Amino acid sequence: MAGDMKIRIGRKILKKEDIYRQKEIFHREQAKLSFEEKIKILIQLQKIAKNIKRKGIVWKIR
Amino acid sequence: MRKTPEVINELKDKGVIDDYAIGGGIATLFYAEPFLTYDLDIFITIKQSGKIIDLTPIYDYLKSKGYKWKDEHIVIEGVPVQFIVADELEEEGIKNAKGITYEGIPNKVFSSEHLIAIFLRAGREKDIQKVKMLLQQTKINKRRLKNILRENLILK
Repeated sequence: MAGDMKIRIGRKILKKEDIYRQKEIFHREQAKLSFEEKIKILIQLQKIAKNIKRKGIVWKIR
Repeated sequence: MRKTPEVINELKDKGVIDDYAIGGGIATLFYAEPFLTYDLDIFITIKQSGKIIDLTPIYDYLKSKGYKWKDEHIVIEGVPVQFIVADELEEEGIKNAKGITYEGIPNKVFSSEHLIAIFLRAGREKDIQKVKMLLQQTKINKRRLKNILRENLILK
């Protein structure tokens, strides 16, 4: 059964649902970053997207 | 982006606009995890005479400061900004906006509840995606959200 699937990572054995729960926690923690921090990450994302797509805007902020 | 909110505040202080709040992707970013977005949506209230909403004073003021148009945006200190005249729901959102600071500069951003209501009303795929992020990643006052949705006929 897919729901009972267990995954070994080194010494840890995790259930699939544990991984999903950890991912959820990670996203919630990211949401708690300061607005300033998020804007810095946003600009990095804009740079990455521009490198890949060869178009798009990167905020030029001082 | 420090300078951009300063310029927006200047528009309010000089009476070019009555009030404003940040909405759209950047408002979502305030509450949720970082994701890619490009423009800064500023919802505004302005004095209006008759049925025509005249944004010329805003653009004239910004042009006089040397800011230029790029497609549908005006680029203020390196950030593409779009001014959106608020309708009834958005005006309520501006009145109830959350006061924040960005690098020490005061700003206003839609509450997460108003943001969700505005996105639900728009109903595009990308709006629904943002609603999901907000519901999963930030605290929502569900009673307040329900009231906003009911009062604005988004929820019957």
